[in-house]
Amino acid sequence: MTLDNIQEIAIRHWPDIKPRLDLSHSLCEMECELEDIPDVCKWLSLEMHYVFAGLIVEEGSSDWELRYVFYSDHEPGWIYILTHQPLSDPAFPSISGFLHAADWHEREAEDLFGLYFAGHPRLGDFVLHNERWQEKLRPMLHSFDGKKSVEHRMPDLEWKPNLIVKAPGAFGMTIGPKFSGVTEPVHFLLETVGEDVIRTIPRLFYKYRAIEKIAERLTTESTLLLAERFAATTAFAHSLAFVQSIENICGIKVPERAQVLRVLLAELERLRHHVGAVQEICESTALAVATSQAAIMEEELLRLSGWFTGHRYLFGLAVPGGLNKEFDDSVCHEAVQQAKAILKRFDRLEEMLRVSSSFLDRLEEVGIVNQLEAMKHGLVGPVARASGITRDLRKVQPYSGYEAYTFEVPCEQEGDGYARLRVLFEEARQSVKIMEQATASLPGGPVFSEVRIKPGSALGWVEAPRGAAFHWLRIGEDGRVSRYRLITPSFVNWHGFHVAAENFAFQDFPIILATFDLSVAENDR
Amino acid sequence: MISSDILFQIFFWLLVTGVVTTILIPERWCPNVLAWFGSVAALALLLSAGTVLLGGDTFRFSLWTIPVLGTLELSLDKLSALFLVVTALIFLPVSVFSSGYLKHYLGHYSLKVFNIWYLSLFLSIGLILFASDVLMFLLAWEAMSILSYLLVNFEHRDEEHTAAGYLMLAMGEAGTLAAAIALLLLAIPADSLSFPALKSTSRGMSEGLQWAIFLLSFFGFGVKAGLAPFNAWLPRAHPVAPGNISALLSSVILNLGLYGIVRINMDILPMTMTGPGLITLIIGTVSAFVGILYATTKNDLKVMLAHSSIENIGIVTAGLGAGFVFTATGHTLIATIAFVAAFYHMANHSFYKALLFLSAATVDMKVGVRHLDQLGGLIRRMPLTALCFLAGALSISALPPFNGFVSEWLTLQTMLRSAELSSVSVKVVFALCGAILALTAALAVTCFVKAFAMGFLGISRSAHAEKTTEAARSMTSPMVVLMVFCLLLGVLPTFVISALDGVLKPITQASAVEALTPPFFATSPDHIKLKPEFAAEFRDLGAQVGQEVFPGQGLVVMHRGGEHNPVVFAMSTSYMFPVLIILLAIVFVVVRFGLARDRCVIRNQRWDGGIRRLLPEMTYTATGFSNPVRVIFDTILRPTTQDTQATVEAHFRAAIRRRREEVHIVDRSVITPLRSGALKIAYALAAMHHGRLNAYVGYGLLTLVLSLVLVLTVAG
Amino acid sequence: MSQWVRKGLATGIKTTCYPGREETAPGVSPGLPLGGDYPEKQASELVKRCTVGALSFQNHKLVVDYRRCVHCYRCIRGVTLPIAWQQGYEWATDTNIIETRKKFVRAFDRSLNIIVVDTGDCGACLNEVRQLNNPYYNMHRLGFFITPTPREADVLLIVGPLTDHMREPLRKVYDAIPMPKWVIAVGACALSGGVFSPSFVCDENISEFLPVDVEVPGQPPPPLAILHALLVVAGLKPPASLITQSVSLKHEEVKKQ
Repeated sequence: MTLDNIQEIAIRHWPDIKPRLDLSHSLCEMECELEDIPDVCKWLSLEMHYVFAGLIVEEGSSDWELRYVFYSDHEPGWIYILTHQPLSDPAFPSISGFLHAADWHEREAEDLFGLYFAGHPRLGDFVLHNERWQEKLRPMLHSFDGKKSVEHRMPDLEWKPNLIVKAPGAFGMTIGPKFSGVTEPVHFLLETVGEDVIRTIPRLFYKYRAIEKIAERLTTESTLLLAERFAATTAFAHSLAFVQSIENICGIKVPERAQVLRVLLAELERLRHHVGAVQEICESTALAVATSQAAIMEEELLRLSGWFTGHRYLFGLAVPGGLNKEFDDSVCHEAVQQAKAILKRFDRLEEMLRVSSSFLDRLEEVGIVNQLEAMKHGLVGPVARASGITRDLRKVQPYSGYEAYTFEVPCEQEGDGYARLRVLFEEARQSVKIMEQATASLPGGPVFSEVRIKPGSALGWVEAPRGAAFHWLRIGEDGRVSRYRLITPSFVNWHGFHVAAENFAFQDFPIILATFDLSVAENDR
Repeated sequence: MISSDILFQIFFWLLVTGVVTTILIPERWCPNVLAWFGSVAALALLLSAGTVLLGGDTFRFSLWTIPVLGTLELSLDKLSALFLVVTALIFLPVSVFSSGYLKHYLGHYSLKVFNIWYLSLFLSIGLILFASDVLMFLLAWEAMSILSYLLVNFEHRDEEHTAAGYLMLAMGEAGTLAAAIALLLLAIPADSLSFPALKSTSRGMSEGLQWAIFLLSFFGFGVKAGLAPFNAWLPRAHPVAPGNISALLSSVILNLGLYGIVRINMDILPMTMTGPGLITLIIGTVSAFVGILYATTKNDLKVMLAHSSIENIGIVTAGLGAGFVFTATGHTLIATIAFVAAFYHMANHSFYKALLFLSAATVDMKVGVRHLDQLGGLIRRMPLTALCFLAGALSISALPPFNGFVSEWLTLQTMLRSAELSSVSVKVVFALCGAILALTAALAVTCFVKAFAMGFLGISRSAHAEKTTEAARSMTSPMVVLMVFCLLLGVLPTFVISALDGVLKPITQASAVEALTPPFFATSPDHIKLKPEFAAEFRDLGAQVGQEVFPGQGLVVMHRGGEHNPVVFAMSTSYMFPVLIILLAIVFVVVRFGLARDRCVIRNQRWDGGIRRLLPEMTYTATGFSNPVRVIFDTILRPTTQDTQATVEAHFRAAIRRRREEVHIVDRSVITPLRSGALKIAYALAAMHHGRLNAYVGYGLLTLVLSLVLVLTVAG
Repeated sequence: MSQWVRKGLATGIKTTCYPGREETAPGVSPGLPLGGDYPEKQASELVKRCTVGALSFQNHKLVVDYRRCVHCYRCIRGVTLPIAWQQGYEWATDTNIIETRKKFVRAFDRSLNIIVVDTGDCGACLNEVRQLNNPYYNMHRLGFFITPTPREADVLLIVGPLTDHMREPLRKVYDAIPMPKWVIAVGACALSGGVFSPSFVCDENISEFLPVDVEVPGQPPPPLAILHALLVVAGLKPPASLITQSVSLKHEEVKKQ
């Protein structure tokens, strides 16, 4: 169903809707009355099967603007549901009761902006931990100075974790925030009666760096540094999403060579990330040789990146208008040849893993997320694709010329740890396939075209290695950033993590965590 | 020196006076009256039985003659003396403890009644053990059964308590009936009811009759001893009884069941067949395993201790069973060793279980809850109680130098001596039972690590546990006394063994002293009945150290195999104890004055992963700690679990409730089938009652014919 | 399972020759900009392009503040006269505190147990620390081990800017490490807050919160630079003086060596 059809139906249902159709960007904005929001969202998600990408809150000069972003899994098209509400009355209906993917978005908006979502049962104590921050501290408001430190509250002795398992002898086993060897800080409470874990509660945002706040009033150049560095294991994907949002605002056509090179780099990063993810999965099952093999490949890909681009994590490459660095054709060919060689060994590793029964025993039927739950939580990336959802922005909402490449989106049905592993392996293969196509058709020309920053707002999106990432950017009249919203795949997938981490034996916890391939840095922002 | 029969009379009249005094004095004096009369009577009993146990004269006197049934007789031999000494040593601290403990009943329940029952119970227990004829024995037994029921059901306003009490009474009565039949079967050939007469005519009894007597007496007394599968009452009765009564129930009354088994099957009718011995061994082992399995998985302190009592009585019974088998096969020496081990363990169990139950009662009274999940951190608030519980836990986990170690060591060693038996199938049974007993010992450690760690260490998991205080001295000092008993029984096993040997010598006609505790300190060479090279080896190992200082018997317990397995095992907790203390002292001195002198010691909080505050609900519970055991033994426990979820707004879960229910294996596999079987028969019989006259006449005719056939067969 | 044994053996030795000899494989280090004498015009253009303030022009010399350099490459790419670039990776610098702790050096010269605390890192530094365990760097051969508990740690290795929520955990970890202990701060974020500061959630660098003994610049510093820091702590390598000393001097020293 095309966007104009959807628009028609919407107007028929809700005559109050003020639509704005922009077919050149396959975008449909629908301005709704506040009370229609739940119904429209429900209709869009349940009947039209649009996927909820995220909630973007903006504090205007006189009113709140809430933007519910939806996209389709099947055809190009974006739908923004917009609503406005005067600043003095920040109350909105909650949609997370039926559209569960919106849960954390609403909690975040409540915590940082002070909005109220009527009907949401779990507001508060989310981004800003209640034991440490003053109640009513709303750092995302324009009136709040993000550069100054604030006074903290006294330790809250009343704070209790929200334990919901009611069984004799049940308790919350605490893990973290500093746990295990080299790990990112998360605090898990495993609700258990010993050995069998019934439910897992992750407590996140230990790494909250307030990227969205400190980006305000910055130049786009400085914000680019933030976009690149807030989650650096997938730095290029996020910097690409950011520069694409600028390019969308300014309406720039990026030189073709830059587009191809961007694809090449993005896929190189995806390959490296997936090898690293496989390494962590092997490590979680204590399969030492496989871990080492994957680690060798990861380091070789890091060295390849370092040799190819100058930086092991592809920093400082994407800029609005193209790339910061020119690459020789021969160097690109050489890089792809090396990547192919590594992939060959990676395939061999997969073959060996597939016949290691002790390894498979630990992965199979562990951390299952069925398709329904994955839909409900709006999971993205390899995790969603392992649960039977063929969701890939490169295919559906192509950017940077992805429509020109032939590749397949792997999809597995089981939704267990092994399915996620298989998806990672298959995607790595597809990435190299795309890289080969990119170098085969490498056009000539410049890699950079000048950009004049214009005021406006737009969404930039990429299929980052962990899944769909959305960067919403609004540039003010002064050419500086006035609102920067980051919707990251890990934020979405952390929300669904508890589905996988339910009713399992304690020793499977590291495996579930590793196969879910989550980044705390990407979530905490 | 007052002779033991006079002391017995003092004991008797003290208790009677106690009962009379109780009636006369006001309610609030009752606890103290109980403590004074109870403990002084216990002292008198201790002296009376103690002199007999350590070699004094036995006595015997007749009370009065009842027409038709014969004379009521009382006597004291060494077997009774052993049980009486243990009883007295338990009653002494428990009575003192009661003075403090009973105060919390003031104004709720009548303490006068309690006093009268308590003192009468003491008296009836004394009379059971003094009884020397069937009638006296059964009368005292009945009195004890009813009084213990009344005391268990003391907090009678609770429905659950009453139900548990009824079950106890009903099962006890069934047992008494079986035991009475067994005793009467013994009495038929003797034509008398006195025990010596029964004993004199028991030889040469037919095998069928022997089997009948064994089965009846083993069932009858096994119910009281709490052996599986007749122990359904025990885990229900213990937790509802007042704390001091639970201690008595476990430490004294269970022993009475064992006394019954021992009196009939060792003394009056010694074993001549291996079958009953093997049954005893297997039932003992199964009881031990089932007991400890449920003890590990239960987290109510008293329920847990009750299940652990089943385990320990099981170990004692296994030892007895091994002894029966060895007696029947003519290995009198090994049989004696097995009985020594069994009696030793029985005494040990009495002491540490009393200690543990008193600690549990203290916790229950001071904290108000006794579920381990709601305790925690008590060591900081009740240090002495915690120390006593720890000592009890170490003892029951069989860790040296405490007493449980010695007797479990002896029991397991005796199992290994089955190598000397000739029958392969018997050997296999011994091997299996030995392995299960070893598993039992390991689970016991798990169980009591859990009990101590979850109860006394860590963070308090309830408001009650946070605000508790140490108990009064009248309650802690008896526990300290029991703790000292536990330590002494552990550190000086050689003395205990020789005392037990005195009990067994008249019964088994063999002495285990030479085999178990060779007199290493003896100076004259002919005294040492050891092979010279062997003795020399032990001398080199230091067994003669302290010869000058301590000119008594050896302090080493030895277990030597026979010809088939000439392995020697030896242990000495007596040496181990000082060495342990010296080593700890050396470590302390080295660390304190050597290593730590020029280092700065930084005391810091426990490492908690960096969370802001470790809350009680984030720490391990007893249920969590024991859950692995629950998972491993799933097939035995067979729980049914049911999860229900409550949600708000369709996707947000407000609660996940998990109900886990399990039926005790004995209830499931014995009691329930029995009950449904009985009901089935009843329904089948009910089908006959349909009111047709012809059918009833037919029944009568059928019965007549059958009776005639039966009579004719028997007569023919 | 035998396939894994064969595979492991067939892979052979991958381990770097560092610290015995210099590692020369391409791509092991992103390198760092090199300060020194530059024409004033070029220098001022470079300083202007550096949005994080790592470059400054003092006394006719272009000075690079390595604590602030975040590898944005804006001083080398998209500019007509780029800055000189140095490869290398021996960047770990000790601070003055080290002198007072000299007497503890012997305690560390055999083996180090390292606890790694991520205080808000973007994932790159953490991933580079993780690489130290891979066969290429294999820090176990040098006696360095990652430990999960501070109780047995000698070295606290911090990556990332110090976020507000991680202050208390970091303090707890530091307090729980027995004396003597060393602190290594890894990466520009840990040293200066990087691009994330100042803000209300991470407004200071870690040395204001804890005494830092060894600093490793770079965003992220390559694994070899982190390895160098560990070798400095163990007394097996001399520290570099990137941060403390004048940059051009350092450059000459490197040449001499």
